[in-house]
Amino acid sequence: MNSNLFPNLWRFLLLVAVQVLFLKQVAVTAGSYFNVLLYPLFVLLLPIRLGVPYLVILGFFVGMTVDYFYVSYGLHASAAAFSGFARGFVFKIFEPKGGFTGKEPVFSPQYFGWSVFAQAASLFFFVHIFWYFSVDYFTFYYFNDIALKTLASWGLSMIFVVFYGFLFNPKR
Amino acid sequence: MGSLLQLFIRNGGFVTMVLVEALCFYIIVQSNTNTRQQAIYVHSFGKMAGDLLERRQHLLDYWSLDAQIDSLRQENEELQQELSNRQTVQVEHRDTFFAVRFDSLFRNDSVRRRVTRPEYLYITATVVGNSINGANNWLMLNRGSIDGVQPDMAVVTRLGIVGIVREVNTHFSSVMSVLHRQTKISAALKKERAFGSLVWEGGDPDVMTLKFIPKHFDKIAVGDSVLTSGFSHMFPAQHLIGTIAQKPQQDPENPYFLVMQVHLNQDLSTVQHVYVVKNLFAPQLDSLQRSTVHEQ
Repeated sequence: MNSNLFPNLWRFLLLVAVQVLFLKQVAVTAGSYFNVLLYPLFVLLLPIRLGVPYLVILGFFVGMTVDYFYVSYGLHASAAAFSGFARGFVFKIFEPKGGFTGKEPVFSPQYFGWSVFAQAASLFFFVHIFWYFSVDYFTFYYFNDIALKTLASWGLSMIFVVFYGFLFNPKR
Repeated sequence: MGSLLQLFIRNGGFVTMVLVEALCFYIIVQSNTNTRQQAIYVHSFGKMAGDLLERRQHLLDYWSLDAQIDSLRQENEELQQELSNRQTVQVEHRDTFFAVRFDSLFRNDSVRRRVTRPEYLYITATVVGNSINGANNWLMLNRGSIDGVQPDMAVVTRLGIVGIVREVNTHFSSVMSVLHRQTKISAALKKERAFGSLVWEGGDPDVMTLKFIPKHFDKIAVGDSVLTSGFSHMFPAQHLIGTIAQKPQQDPENPYFLVMQVHLNQDLSTVQHVYVVKNLFAPQLDSLQRSTVHEQ
């Protein structure tokens, strides 16, 4: 557990910093349809064996931190907490035959290959971004807007996710 | 705090998620006082419910469309009947003998001076088979003897004429289209009041030929209306057939008469809802005609 603490802490700080210092500005420039979200990667890259309640609570914390800078208290927290809950289901779909061995500490392309990582991350980010915009609108009355924004932001976010994977390819 | 965390872990991730989401939603609504989320929270449920109800009504409308069409056609049938009977026969009410007769055909009007005698009965029908490209064309209707359809009844639409019933079985009837070489319909010009015979000479399904108009009617112009004459015992009088399509010419077979092309008002290639017309006096008219034929 301790060996995982520092990599995740650095990741937390890095992702939140990139999110609030850089990607927030991207959304302002690119228009409201392209709200790039990268910080959910923190939840995705938390240790595989971590229990779901921890994931939910850590998701809540990272979301709340981002919310603090976005001045949208509770919004990102809700999305990140939910994706923390949903991560287990995503992993169920993409887990290798025979399940996770325990040798892979994190779900990264280093251990599972680019294809599986990209697919799992796509699904995970889609869930997160869809939840985010749904809560943002707070009603499914504007479902078309929600769907459109989700697709636009999801596509752009995935580029950054893959870029992050190439840059760091985390081992722990 | 540690035991609380343990409680979360023991009860699984779902409970944690629900609690955290509830907390998030609370934070969202609290921190957004008088802003979008709260306003939506208040309004959207009403909006959503209204929208849902409207969609439901829309769906129900679709489901009852058949019934609605049916009732409209029923209404049309009645109106058509009333209109045609008002135009046709009006018999003077001469003495009290008529008034005490219990005859469904006789009706007093509001001032009890005239009685209107219904002459035609309209039966709605749908075309279930149709041809227009043959030399002799036929239609099939979804009404038969059980619905009151009999041979030699006329078939019309609001826009024009369609044909004459030839064969009838229990539920269906076959109709000789006006686009048939045996068709011969007594037609009259609306303006000139001259009457002649309308026949189809094949080819163009939009055009029929009007024959036997005496040649002294030389003022007939393109666009004049052609109506049924009411002499045929089948078609109700004054029913629109079409318009003159071409300047009348001398009949090459018979120089005392004119011949002219008539553009049909009802497009027979798209005809769908029709009325079968029953002349209530057809048996009487037929027996009279037969007796005069015998005398010839």
